[in-house]
Amino acid sequence: MTDVPASAATPGLPARLWDLMGRRPELFTLALIVVTVIGVAIANPNFFAMNNVFDILRASVVRGIFAMGVLVVLAAGGIDVSFTAIAAFVMYALTMLVTNIFPGMPLWVILPLAALGGAVFGVINGLLVHSLRAPSLIVTIGTQYIIRSALLTFVGTALFMNLPASMEAFGKASLITWTGGTGVISTLPATVLVLVVVAFATWFILERTLMGRAIFASGGNPGIAERLGFNLFHIRLFVFGWAGLLAGIAGIVHVASNRLANPFDLAGMELEIIAAVVLGGARITGGSGTVIGTLLGVLLITLVSNVLVFVGIPSTLQLAIVGIFILIAGTIFALRQRN
Amino acid sequence: MQSQPGQTNQSTGQKPFLEIRNLRKSFGGVQALKDVSLTLEAGQIYHLMGENGCGKSTLIKIVSGAQNATSGQIFIDGEATGPLAGDIGAIGALKAGIETVYQDLSLLPNLSVAENIALTGQLVAAGGRLARRLKRAELFATAAKALAEVHLPTDPAFLTRRTDTLPLATRQLVAIARAIAASARLVIMDEPTTSLTRQEVENLLSVVRRLLDQGVTVLFVTHKLDEVKSLGGHAIIMRDGLKVAEREVATTNKSEISQLMTGREISEARYRTEPKIGEGLLEVETLTQTNAFRNLSLSLRKGEILGITGLLDSGRNELALALSGVRPASSGAIRLEGKSVWPKTPGEAIRDGIGYVPEDRLTEGLFLEKPIQDNVTLPVLDRLKNAIGMISPKRARKLAEDQIAGLQVVAPNVAAPVQSLSGGNQQRVLIGRWLTIEPRLLILHGPTVGVDVGSKDTIFRIIQRLADEGMGVIIISDDLPELLQNCDRIAVMRQGAIAATYDAATTSEDRLYQTMAGAAPAVTDLEMPA
Repeated sequence: MTDVPASAATPGLPARLWDLMGRRPELFTLALIVVTVIGVAIANPNFFAMNNVFDILRASVVRGIFAMGVLVVLAAGGIDVSFTAIAAFVMYALTMLVTNIFPGMPLWVILPLAALGGAVFGVINGLLVHSLRAPSLIVTIGTQYIIRSALLTFVGTALFMNLPASMEAFGKASLITWTGGTGVISTLPATVLVLVVVAFATWFILERTLMGRAIFASGGNPGIAERLGFNLFHIRLFVFGWAGLLAGIAGIVHVASNRLANPFDLAGMELEIIAAVVLGGARITGGSGTVIGTLLGVLLITLVSNVLVFVGIPSTLQLAIVGIFILIAGTIFALRQRN
Repeated sequence: MQSQPGQTNQSTGQKPFLEIRNLRKSFGGVQALKDVSLTLEAGQIYHLMGENGCGKSTLIKIVSGAQNATSGQIFIDGEATGPLAGDIGAIGALKAGIETVYQDLSLLPNLSVAENIALTGQLVAAGGRLARRLKRAELFATAAKALAEVHLPTDPAFLTRRTDTLPLATRQLVAIARAIAASARLVIMDEPTTSLTRQEVENLLSVVRRLLDQGVTVLFVTHKLDEVKSLGGHAIIMRDGLKVAEREVATTNKSEISQLMTGREISEARYRTEPKIGEGLLEVETLTQTNAFRNLSLSLRKGEILGITGLLDSGRNELALALSGVRPASSGAIRLEGKSVWPKTPGEAIRDGIGYVPEDRLTEGLFLEKPIQDNVTLPVLDRLKNAIGMISPKRARKLAEDQIAGLQVVAPNVAAPVQSLSGGNQQRVLIGRWLTIEPRLLILHGPTVGVDVGSKDTIFRIIQRLADEGMGVIIISDDLPELLQNCDRIAVMRQGAIAATYDAATTSEDRLYQTMAGAAPAVTDLEMPA
């Protein structure tokens, strides 16, 4: 019981920082963001122009919505790589349905439909993971391929350039319009609100409900969680369902922002999103992670892939920088765990 | 305060809290419980004792609802339980106030102290449904109240601390606090003191006494006869799936209990009878490990057994890790048969002829799901290579079979996974692995932690045989009787130095303990009065 009471001697500043980072890994993510921003701002003082800030926020929305789903699955000790396929299927099939059959369908019907469609796919993932007792990585690689192939084979491959009016308007809607000194008009899209709502809902579930605690419990040690009376089956259905639901929403946001429904879009984004969540402090082995950290991780990935080009770093090099950040963060988090 | 057996309930004529009649349980053709009947009176303490595999784990699993009985009846407050009368069911057990603290403590490592204590209460209140608000204020209040009962801090910093950052003894108390928060009427503890230091054990026992004072019934599964003596109450002794005896602890003694458990007489006499001590083997000079021990010197001769003991913070564990190359020391010299060695990894230690059997065989020592053969042959794979550099399965099996025969491991064959063996047999497999490297120096760290009396006997005989064959043996342990029975000399460490070395034949447990704690026993690692 020696080390239960508050520490007798005050440790040095580095030790305290190290300890703080162990408890709040997202601070490290924040530090990386600050370093990146300072670096870019020194190289190009125009960086802080409002349109750049808006661009980064705009580009964070779809990633951020996906990341909330991935966070919940990771926290429960699973992993999901099928969410991009779910999003592509839902956005393309729904755009096709609305365009061809219900051209007047309002957004408040489209978004819930997308969420429902995504959730159905997600719940199937959860059912498979539970009933096959297979690692969720393998299961979701399987479902990813099946969903993508079904989309391209049975639904279609042609692009939709003319979106239904409600989706078009959703993509164009702006929260703030800013006219810069040089006459450049920049807008903060209303889609950001979707991310805000999704992030808040995810935070509420994780931190304020029994389900949230159950998710972390099963990510910490599923055997013990089950012994204590947590229903692992319900937890798995929920986390994969939530990831699917958010994927469906992200798909519609993606179509609306790009004003284009391309069934080949979003493929290959999975690792980048998982990397963002892990950069935000969630452990790949489950049982940890925060909404704030995940948002910071997404912001960091978006920053690197969107702004480095402004300071003359070729886009081919950006991936390497993201890679270096992931290595640094991974090493630091692993070292912290070992202590 | 000790519980006085058989007082309250007989005088008030209350029904017993729990009564078990003719309980049987079979797994396939194996009968784990043959016909067990027993009665637990409220507010009393019972010690469930027996060798590994005697059926006591099965019994507590049935009482806690984790398994169903094959036949028999269980009554709680005089009422028959469950669909089969012999079945409680997990929810039924919790509702009846039966809480089990398993050896792994069942704490969620990544959740906070408060959540670990009070979350299940909210889960039960919600009927297991998860779509419910988390009542945070209630969570903290419940947890703080339960923590106060076990004399742990109740401040927010402690309540929100992750349980995997706590020392083992504290985690144990948190697990007990969880039982208290669930208003337990019966707390079952499965070998709770296995890895605790003496002072931590004392503290745990005082918590147990407090539970008894509050009318909680306690079922203590244990191998340690000293603790049974200190707590009093009743001892229930099992062997081969049967309850062979029930004794009032006050009227029995250690050797009777050992005899009942094993069915044979086990003496407390020294195993070390005619040491054949040879020439010098190990010289350690001014060995220093920052923050653990300094300027430590010791020597060991061939065929000699040296015991090393001390409190948890005395540096004894770090010394073991330094000698075995797990965590090399920062400075000093180690000579083996006059030749200077400095193992920087366990692999180098093996090449130098130093074998190390770690303390926690489950996490540090064994690959539980792997066969015995793989576990035993691991350090000597390069000796098992055939002409083309592949491992020869024949040679590996032969080596493993030789070892398990020599160590009297009870196992169907060498292909059986280690996790299918009892604790004592697992420990023998681990020792067997290190014997395959034919070490000159064998370091055993807590060789009989969590091992029953019968297996202890076998392990002690093995240790003596190894020393007789000329191996130098160091036993690091805080089980003082074990050191006194087996060693030639016992070195006591305190605050990173050897405080004294005694001749094991003439010293006493008391003397060793006095030295461990220091002349004036300063209460350094205990925050509360025991």
